[in-house]
Amino acid sequence: MTEQSLTVISCAEFQDHLPDLFANANGVPSDPALKHHLDTCENCSALVRDLQYIADQARMLLEPADEEPSDDVWSGIQHKLDSERAEALPTPPLPS
Amino acid sequence: MNDIMSSEHTATNLQGPPLTQAPAGPKPVQGLFKRNPPIAGEAEAIEAAKTGDPEAFSKLYALHKRRVYTLCLRMLGNVSEAEDMTQEAFLHLFRKIGSFRGESAFSTWLHRLTVNLVLMQLRKKGLQLVSLEETINPSEEDAPKRDFGSRDPHLTGSVDRVTLERAVASLPPGYRMVFVLHDVEGYEHNEIATMLECSTGNSKSQLHKARLKLRELLRESGQTLQPAVLKEAVR
Repeated sequence: MTEQSLTVISCAEFQDHLPDLFANANGVPSDPALKHHLDTCENCSALVRDLQYIADQARMLLEPADEEPSDDVWSGIQHKLDSERAEALPTPPLPS
Repeated sequence: MNDIMSSEHTATNLQGPPLTQAPAGPKPVQGLFKRNPPIAGEAEAIEAAKTGDPEAFSKLYALHKRRVYTLCLRMLGNVSEAEDMTQEAFLHLFRKIGSFRGESAFSTWLHRLTVNLVLMQLRKKGLQLVSLEETINPSEEDAPKRDFGSRDPHLTGSVDRVTLERAVASLPPGYRMVFVLHDVEGYEHNEIATMLECSTGNSKSQLHKARLKLRELLRESGQTLQPAVLKEAVR
């Protein structure tokens, strides 16, 4: 296919396809018109690189941050579990 | 209340029965299992916790509190609510741990439980009045700008964790939720769509807008920027 026969698309048209491109092919288009635009448009290729970079960097956030919940959280959990256990215990028979 | 632990694999509709069918066989959520490998001593603690051993509960809490809390904080954006939700998540966990069958990573199971609880909480706070599909759309000024005419400067250098964390925290809530679920936690669009009761296309679109907005925020936050053409020239 020659360049002349390619459908020329605008940046707006290219960027309209980006959500699906990233969902299905990580930003790499198989459509010749989209691929041609990506290869020739500095603005859109920079955009795609940045969005891929952001998606890649997001993975580092999976590891937890240094922040921890306060000690009150565990105290609250223990208190509630203790209460539930106490409620679950069989009631002693009433003295006759 | 729906059983938020009803499946280890399928996303659970928070306002009704599970919508999606579990795939045949024990197929963990793609990506998550690999990203959540078993932790030393965890399996023993799980089995002991099933018998009600308080020490085992304490160990499981110590192993997972930071990730659960971080997830709650990212989704809720509020320390007090994140702590409440962390407490609620572990209480649910300890009450229902007997139903954990080990077909997916424990942390995957715990994360799904936590996500479902957070979404329930958000609905209780009023999101049930209108569909999430509408409410996750931010206002015009929060939406990423589309500027097709200019030569767009792009990110250069590396974005450190703190800078990215701050940028994610300042995303509009709907964008943040989809970004955290997909790009950080590794959920697929179809799972997010089920959890948020929106379309898969909407999930994709929200994620794209979230990344665009993050790009904007990172550039504004003083990341080293230079026009794309200059970066190419200095290579």
